Amino acid sequence: MFEIKPMLSALWRNKISALLIAVQIALTLAIVSNSVTIIQERQQKIDRPTGIDVENLIGITFMPVPTEYDMAGAVVADLDLLRSMPGVIDASVTNQLPLSGSGSASGYFLEPNQEIGDLTANYYHTDPHFINTLGMKLVAGRNFREDEMKILGAHDNQISDVAIVTQQFADSAFPEESALGKYLYSGRDDHPTKIIGIVDRHLGAWPSWNLAGNVVFNPMLITGNHKRYLVRTEPGQRDAVFKQLEDKLAERDPQRVIHVETTEENKRQSYSGDNLMIKMLSVVVGLLTFIVALGIVGLTTFWINQRTKQIGIRRALGASRSNISRYFLVENSIIAVTGLTLGGTAALIINEAIANNFSQPPLSLSLLIGCAIVLLVVSLTAALVPALRAANISPATATRSV
Amino acid sequence: MIGYYISLAMRSLRGTPILSALMIAAIAVGVGASMTVLTVNYMTSKNPLEHKDSVLYAVQLDSWDPNESYNRGGRGNQIPWQLTYQDATALLRSEIPARQVAMHRFGFTVTTDDSQVRPFVANARVTTRDFFGLFDVPFKHGGTWEKSADETPTLSVVLSSATNAKIFGEKNSVGEVIQLNGEPFTVVGVIEDWNPSPKVHDLNNGAFNDSEEIYIPFGLHRKFEIHSWGNNNGWNSGGNEGVTGYEAHLQSESVWIQYWVELDSAAQKRDYEEFITNYIRQQKEQGRFQRPLKFALTQPSEWLVLNEVLDQDSRVLAWCALAFLLVCVVNAVALLLAKFLRKAPEAGVRRALGAGRGSIFTQHLIESGCIGLLGGLAGIVLTLVGLAGIRVLTDDGFDRVAQMDWAMVFAAIALAVFASLLAGLYPAWRISRTNPSVYLKTQ
Repeated sequence: MFEIKPMLSALWRNKISALLIAVQIALTLAIVSNSVTIIQERQQKIDRPTGIDVENLIGITFMPVPTEYDMAGAVVADLDLLRSMPGVIDASVTNQLPLSGSGSASGYFLEPNQEIGDLTANYYHTDPHFINTLGMKLVAGRNFREDEMKILGAHDNQISDVAIVTQQFADSAFPEESALGKYLYSGRDDHPTKIIGIVDRHLGAWPSWNLAGNVVFNPMLITGNHKRYLVRTEPGQRDAVFKQLEDKLAERDPQRVIHVETTEENKRQSYSGDNLMIKMLSVVVGLLTFIVALGIVGLTTFWINQRTKQIGIRRALGASRSNISRYFLVENSIIAVTGLTLGGTAALIINEAIANNFSQPPLSLSLLIGCAIVLLVVSLTAALVPALRAANISPATATRSV
Repeated sequence: MIGYYISLAMRSLRGTPILSALMIAAIAVGVGASMTVLTVNYMTSKNPLEHKDSVLYAVQLDSWDPNESYNRGGRGNQIPWQLTYQDATALLRSEIPARQVAMHRFGFTVTTDDSQVRPFVANARVTTRDFFGLFDVPFKHGGTWEKSADETPTLSVVLSSATNAKIFGEKNSVGEVIQLNGEPFTVVGVIEDWNPSPKVHDLNNGAFNDSEEIYIPFGLHRKFEIHSWGNNNGWNSGGNEGVTGYEAHLQSESVWIQYWVELDSAAQKRDYEEFITNYIRQQKEQGRFQRPLKFALTQPSEWLVLNEVLDQDSRVLAWCALAFLLVCVVNAVALLLAKFLRKAPEAGVRRALGAGRGSIFTQHLIESGCIGLLGGLAGIVLTLVGLAGIRVLTDDGFDRVAQMDWAMVFAAIALAVFASLLAGLYPAWRISRTNPSVYLKTQ
């Protein structure tokens, strides 16, 4: 009933045009399926839980003007001020701002005096308020005590006696057993750092780092030439607090330059490359589908114009309107399925190449099939309008100008 | 004849407005998408030091951990990107290079006597005096500091033109004093606007970051306990016995100093390579440089490649954009074929009246070229829209990258015309094969 045989011989007469459409569909499937794979991977990366209360966090960096400056005293006074501000839940001193793209990492060893085989982690120098300030969950052990805080100079040996680590770091350092109560060491050193607590999750300073999530927190204040604070506000209060911060801190001590930024903005900037990739690939996918649809509309219309007389004759010989529409839709499906089969193969080959050369994610079969189905629907929709118009060709056309 | 063909082409385009518009739109979208990506990649791959590419070299020494090679994120040549402070100061003693620069990024608070200017933190480049000559940085006022300032603490500063304008307005500030970290520095020079992109001389903190706001002599490290506001990597946390505090940092195996030399001739380069080889041998005797003897002198153009300034995402996007253009070309082939075949009777009549196959072919190819030209012009508009979109989506430094220059405008038109000529080849050939008799019969 689908008149496959005459259809194939008609297609064979137009083989170049039909092939061109099939090639277009094939290329489109290859590009679209690979693009969607990359888009999905980036979106998943951006959507990963950060482990912290991103929306309500503010980071402050300040640099004193005079070279001689009582940094330790200033930090105590500033934190008192920050914690007393209305709308502020808690505040901490820190060496780096989460998700900001700027921070420090170190290698950690499980035995003293080692040279090789370290685990790298992003590290914080912070204070006992940091769990509450970041909005994290302590899943094992205890928080730091005030008496565990070490105050050191910028170039002193910065090794802590105790540390809190993320669950991810704990699991990679001690896969078999609990990390609680175990010791970490710096390379070529025998000073032990005891793990006293584990927090559930924190991505650290560089969300795009391959080890993001390996984070170690130390109770420490380094009196360098600049200092940072993190402030967590009550929900909805962030912008109100943000506006006052610089003035309040400057009022307490004007001898410094203060910079305030939200963690949300830091996060946005850290992911801006991924965001750009998602947006650009989405535009490509959208435009490409549109172009292919246009091509199908154009070519189907052309074929129908070419065959106006034949359609008229078929109608005169008793073919119904739906017979005519169906003819063109089935014809389109044959071309599309041919193209999609070609394209599926091409997609897998291209994916192999970009996965190897450009470290992009592998293409899943279900995604490929999903994209193929969407393209088939687009192709049929594009053919539908001219096919319905073809059905309106009057049988009387057959009698004209023969 | 060409003029006649062009007027025929225009008439033919007007004859089938919808099909023509579809083709022009397809070419325009293809060109717009690919030129947006290619422009960004082209600007990203630019070498701001091209005019000195044959004489400048980034210096790398393999002073890294004997147990494992330097490897950060899989990029590069397994040698640390930067030098230790002790190696940088040792290399500075060589008199072979015409110019040499040891430098890194830092920051100072800036305060002035003028209460109108609020204190701010200025990004600073701590560098030796040759920086301006080596990288061809033009001075607006004054010049670089004395050579002695690179070894002994001298409170001199060179300002960027924006910093000069911020503090002093349009005034020539040479001889004026500003406070950096509370200490009085004398302005010795003001440079012109200078913002190379990519920032080839220091790719550590983002290749498209702005240039620094102030420039400070290299002799001030101990006075201000200056460390790097950039990448700082170490492997030996043990350090030397008996040395503590900042001095330990200066003598450590941490790499944080960028080093460039200008070597004017092949002989000079050979001498310098020999000098470095000897230096490493001598250091080996003292127990340092335990890895196999390895160093690298890299020209700016290769340095950009080594640092993967054009990242993998950009490459994927470039391939994606070219594949997109290919789809548009295939699309145009199909549509052109349809369009030309519809006009077959016309071509048949021309053939019957004596036109050769060559003329029919040329005529139709020119028609394809006209479509390409129109598509290219529309494509440029779409490219500008695309680049504006990228500027919105990215942060400040990328603004300079997402810009079209004249070379790219011509490239867009050339790409469009080439793509449409390519697309027109088969349809034009097909129509030139038309058998005139068929159409004469039905007329």
